[in-house]
Amino acid sequence: MTSNATRWALLGATTVTALGAGRAVARRRRRHQPDRQGGWYVVRRGVTVDRPMDAVIGFWTDRERLDRALAEWATLEQLDDNRWRCVASDPAGGGTEWRAEITVDGPGRLSWRVDEGPVPQRGHVDLVSAPQDRGTEIRAELRYRAGGLLRRVLGPVGGDEPDLGLRDALRRIKSLVETGQMIDTRHDPSGRDATQEKATDRVRERLTTGGRA
Amino acid sequence: MRALCWEGVGKLAVRDVPEPGIRAEGDIIVKVRASSVCGSDLHLINGYLPAMREGDILGHEFTGEVVETGPGVQRLRVGDRVVVGSVVACGGCWYCRTEQYSLCDNSNPQPVLTEKLWGHSPAGILGYSHAAGGYSGSHAEYIRVPFGDVGAFKVPDGVADDAVVFASDAMPTGWMAADFCALKGGEVVAVWGAGGVGQMAARSAQILGAERVIVIDRLPERLATAADRLGVETINYAETDVLEALREMTAGRGPDACIEAVGMESHDVGPIYAYDKAKQSARLTTDRPTSVRQAIMACRKGGTVSIVGVHGGLVDKFPLGAAMNKALVLRMGQMHAQRYIPMLLDRLAVGEIDPGYLATHPMSLEDGVRGYELFEKKQDACLRSVLHPAA
Repeated sequence: MTSNATRWALLGATTVTALGAGRAVARRRRRHQPDRQGGWYVVRRGVTVDRPMDAVIGFWTDRERLDRALAEWATLEQLDDNRWRCVASDPAGGGTEWRAEITVDGPGRLSWRVDEGPVPQRGHVDLVSAPQDRGTEIRAELRYRAGGLLRRVLGPVGGDEPDLGLRDALRRIKSLVETGQMIDTRHDPSGRDATQEKATDRVRERLTTGGRA
Repeated sequence: MRALCWEGVGKLAVRDVPEPGIRAEGDIIVKVRASSVCGSDLHLINGYLPAMREGDILGHEFTGEVVETGPGVQRLRVGDRVVVGSVVACGGCWYCRTEQYSLCDNSNPQPVLTEKLWGHSPAGILGYSHAAGGYSGSHAEYIRVPFGDVGAFKVPDGVADDAVVFASDAMPTGWMAADFCALKGGEVVAVWGAGGVGQMAARSAQILGAERVIVIDRLPERLATAADRLGVETINYAETDVLEALREMTAGRGPDACIEAVGMESHDVGPIYAYDKAKQSARLTTDRPTSVRQAIMACRKGGTVSIVGVHGGLVDKFPLGAAMNKALVLRMGQMHAQRYIPMLLDRLAVGEIDPGYLATHPMSLEDGVRGYELFEKKQDACLRSVLHPAA
């Protein structure tokens, strides 16, 4: 182990391994990043709801059910026949608001835009009948502008990216249409003190947000 | 109220915790009358299944009395005696509609980890870590049961708590294991594991038409109980070469179906087992699959291997070549509790299945820590400790 040749060989092998690992990580990161088109990030997510299309549309037009379903996190205000304003507050608190204008573009298609707020976004949703009597596919496309040069270089990181919000929303919609409720285990009893509960809430947040739609 | 909480790897304690309340329309609150320990709890306690948090309440196999119902509950009333399936199912998704309840789309509100581990998230399970939804468990005086109309079933009169408690998990798991084997009548079925689930699987296989059932374990008292209660043949793998014995008992064919009711902390003898155990202890592998390997090797050509022991992650030395070249059918999964429980309650009521003998150690909730110790170390011929919070 003392000869120079051995040292160089070891150093060489280490460098090659490190470069290889770095490249693999970078490639993996890139694969997880959304497409970019004309300055917008574009993400597409879908979820299958086990109900015919009429029932899915019906859920959105049944004002009473919708209000009850949204009660905790958003309000809807009808502007005219085809336009709505949705104000959602950050479920984690902190007073952040998300204001969107929603337009019904036709049967089975609606779009929304958010101009105020830190991340401008546009999106649209198409409803498509799923094969094999599997209900309705809700297909969503979201375009958003990432703020800041650093963020644009690094790609969107962290839990605040709209993609995570979109996946979460689709899962929420599916559950509301199929069961009329969203399961929440945050208030289930445990033997934790306040500090432990706070740490567990962070774990819950990571296990709840993101993943597949 | 009092509850048995997980306090870190290998550590449990009974503590004061807040009482649960109705959180959603379909919720019910059940006053727990009996709550059984389960072999799969050991994987959680010992840190082999992820996402346990200090203070989590364990327990998922229980029976009790409805004391409160949410406004959306229609099938149940306060005062009903119920048994509750361990897996949570919404009743409204495609999987529930097709009676594959343990694959429910909507009952795990924390699906990210399982989606990453397994590609998709299956149903939530009560008292079964934050990877399975973060629900509080049943080793407590009260428990909140979501989708009560879907998951809780009225108990027939005259059936004891310490028997019906197993309709929650051990019975439907055992039944599903035998159901997977698609028996037509006259088969030889081998069952790995003479615990609660293995014994229920053996009984279910008999009811579904198996002519001979052979149960494999290393604990003489469990094998004796199985032989005595169910009339099955037994093999003690600590004394006998299992593959050799099964070949000989079936005149060279091998069993038509092999049921694995052991799970990821499987035991065996010999150097391969020592190697697997060392790897698992160092967390280099998640599962010790010795009984799965053996089941695949033992099974007759074209037979069925049915896995209901709980496995969590990756295994090595999996005999895929044996499974492929022998054209085996592999079936596996967490049980679809809600599909089987009503039928099993009928069979329980007429005495066709009697799981009451599994409850070898009934005790108060306060003794829960000792209950798990007896169960894990298999002391005092313990098959199951059953906790009684109301006692």
